Amino acid sequence: MSADRPVAESEGRLERFNEDRDRILAEVERRVVGRLLAQAARGGDHSLEYVLNDVCYSEIRRLEASGGRKQKELDRWRDLAGRLLQMSEEEKRDELIALVRHYGRDVVGNFDPRVYRFATGVLPAGLGFLMSPVRGLRSGLDALRNMDERISVEGELDIAHACAERGTLVVTPTHSSNMDSVVIGFALMLAHLPPVTYGAGKNLFTNPFISFFMRNLGAYRVDRRLRFELYKDVLKEYSTVLLEHGYHSLFFPGGTRCRSNVVENHLKLGLLGTTVTAYKNNVRAGSPQRRIYIVPATINYRLVLEAETLIADYLAETGKNRFIITDDEFSRVGRLLEFARKILAHSGACVIRFGRPLDVFGNDVTDHGDSIDRTGRLVDPASYVRGADGAVTDDDQRDAEYTKLLGQKLVRVYPRETVFHATHLLARAMFDRACQAAGTRDVYRLLRAPGSLLVAPAQEIVIAVDELRRRIANDPAYGRLHAQVAAESSAAIVDDAASALATYHTRPVVTRHGDQLAVGDVKLLYYYQNRTMHIPPVRVEMRA
Amino acid sequence: MSRAETLGIVGAGSFGSALAAVVARTGRRVVLWSRDPQVVSAIESTRRSPRLPEAELPASVIATTDPRRLASEARTIVLAVASTDARTRAREIGQVVDGAHILIHAVGALSEDQRVTEILAEATPALRLGALAGPAIPADLASGQFSSMVIASRFDEVITEARRLLNAPPALRVYTSHDVIGVELAAAFSGALAIAVGLADALSVGPGPRAVLVTRGLAEASRLGCAAGGETRSFHGLAGLGNLMVRAAENHREYAFGKSLLGGRKPERDWPEGARAAVAAVRLAAKLGVRTPVLSGLAAVITGAITPKEAARLAADTVATEE
Repeated sequence: MSADRPVAESEGRLERFNEDRDRILAEVERRVVGRLLAQAARGGDHSLEYVLNDVCYSEIRRLEASGGRKQKELDRWRDLAGRLLQMSEEEKRDELIALVRHYGRDVVGNFDPRVYRFATGVLPAGLGFLMSPVRGLRSGLDALRNMDERISVEGELDIAHACAERGTLVVTPTHSSNMDSVVIGFALMLAHLPPVTYGAGKNLFTNPFISFFMRNLGAYRVDRRLRFELYKDVLKEYSTVLLEHGYHSLFFPGGTRCRSNVVENHLKLGLLGTTVTAYKNNVRAGSPQRRIYIVPATINYRLVLEAETLIADYLAETGKNRFIITDDEFSRVGRLLEFARKILAHSGACVIRFGRPLDVFGNDVTDHGDSIDRTGRLVDPASYVRGADGAVTDDDQRDAEYTKLLGQKLVRVYPRETVFHATHLLARAMFDRACQAAGTRDVYRLLRAPGSLLVAPAQEIVIAVDELRRRIANDPAYGRLHAQVAAESSAAIVDDAASALATYHTRPVVTRHGDQLAVGDVKLLYYYQNRTMHIPPVRVEMRA
Repeated sequence: MSRAETLGIVGAGSFGSALAAVVARTGRRVVLWSRDPQVVSAIESTRRSPRLPEAELPASVIATTDPRRLASEARTIVLAVASTDARTRAREIGQVVDGAHILIHAVGALSEDQRVTEILAEATPALRLGALAGPAIPADLASGQFSSMVIASRFDEVITEARRLLNAPPALRVYTSHDVIGVELAAAFSGALAIAVGLADALSVGPGPRAVLVTRGLAEASRLGCAAGGETRSFHGLAGLGNLMVRAAENHREYAFGKSLLGGRKPERDWPEGARAAVAAVRLAAKLGVRTPVLSGLAAVITGAITPKEAARLAADTVATEE
């Protein structure tokens, strides 16, 4: 199959979404309410009173923490909490239905084919518009001209096309930046892969322009402040039903943006688990050939817009996945323009690499999308959800284990599909050099190291970069070099990366003083070198 | 009898035959697969396995050389073969099973440095895997004496099915665990420690040093197992301590091998599973950065790098730390 062939049928699926929306919501409501009522009938912690109380408690806490700006809403939850003990089962049931419907409508996305055609038809201008306030439109357009040279796609595209025609794709990229959902949308278009629906953090909808496009290009809202089970049930069921209906989806298995910039090795499996459930439901419905494919992808930026905030959060250990950053670089319109002007200023500034698709049990697939085991034998994926008599069986623990196996497979795949930019190589070489000088790889000790330990002759760094390139080229498990990096000399790579790292962030990461390179910001150096963290350090002989 | 009520067993050796006898006595059907037509023929004609003649096999034990029959008539299959055959047999059953099968092994050793569930995952399409381990001796199982084993799997379904099909008290009680790595490594390293005990007895150490060897050996095996992703308690349970107590007995191959080491290094072809486990443990310890003085000393004796007396002296020089 030719890579430039649009996947017409599968691309058209999302266009049907608006017609399907009410049916999908009704199905979500029917399933969630049915399940919770069945559980409630068994009593104990699953009683409706507990379920509703969990919602009230969480919502009251959330609204109280917001400073009482939504007093009316707060009063409503307090009123419901107060009435719970007196409510009849019938009343609780009605309240449950109303809440499931409410959260379902809060989550649900929209797909406007006109907006999609506009966005894709006028790209790169469309994307420029998307990331620019009205006042900055012209400059945004200028900056984003020849966008497809700046964002490139590579990888197993032919197989992804075959899988898209045969089943439903679930694209699972690494997650570094809030720009990811926009960038991957563009990458899918460049790769002639169909548009996807995806869950986007509600905080991303604060920018009205981005919100407009996200809303109309298939994004559904995920409010990570809502941590009660009912909301998670609605969210997961929504994703499950979308997949069963054949809507291509996108999950970031890392959950939030990776604070440290390491290639993700701890995944959140909640939404990923809906792929197993959806496929099981397809098999039960008599459609085992309606396959669901996991498409691992890595998004590889030369520079990351939010690097300063992310690494500071990581190092302070206030973040990781416990804290939602609401005021980072992404929320400032000016920085979005900077993303366009500086981060995407160079050709190949961002590479999206698509790995070979997997089935939902983590098996590899053939070029035609058939599941194979590790010896290459064809395997029927439906057999994984069947019991001794061949009937489909429900077993949440089994499915959770399947999802863990899938997650482990993704963790093994991501490093291999990682693409290194010059910035990563220079950062790693400088970091190794600083570690060697300081006698430690502990970043907290390096943060207190004297400046004299953070300087190195440029020529020695060139040699170290050369060695790193050789190691990466020799071991596919480490990842791969950006095509431009592979073609350049190590000296040119060091020059290019030093220039980029010196000028983009508010503090220079690395600066050049004559023949010397100096670390300007250890935190950011650590952030960029972390992309190579899975490559073990080796002793590199250098002059003292 | 339905497929769900049938247990498949790969290997008609002493353990596979004993397990078949125990399970069949509970009224279940067993399909016992052997590659050897003579063994199959003997079972069909005499109702006894040549590898365990003292066990009578009820009529519900069906012996076959056809792996397809095994896979089609049993969904849950126990691999009961020597560690040296594990990979070959896994490849063979990999040809006939699918994702609906439950595969459990009772190998109790590593195979070429790998855990057998890892081999099953590589060689077959099955994902629902388990490990059965513990101090169940074929002769005890055959005679209906009190025996216990532990089934470990990540999947509750595997644990439930294994208990449903294998639990046959008092002859066989099946305990449960989710710690697959721990149970597999504990079973494997217990073989190595049994050799160490045999060697210590050959050196005529007293009961005190013998007890120190056993406790410190288990402690470091447990440390290594934890570093590899297992849990400490598996090393003190049936798979670890339980197996060690059975294997460190006069009539056991590993204990006898340990005693024979006093006479010098033995060729690799004569090594029991515990000897290979000791060498594999040292490699794993080096990879994971775990200190293993007992296993390292033992491996050095097995490979001929040091003499048993030198190993004893090195053990005596070990610095005591917090237990």
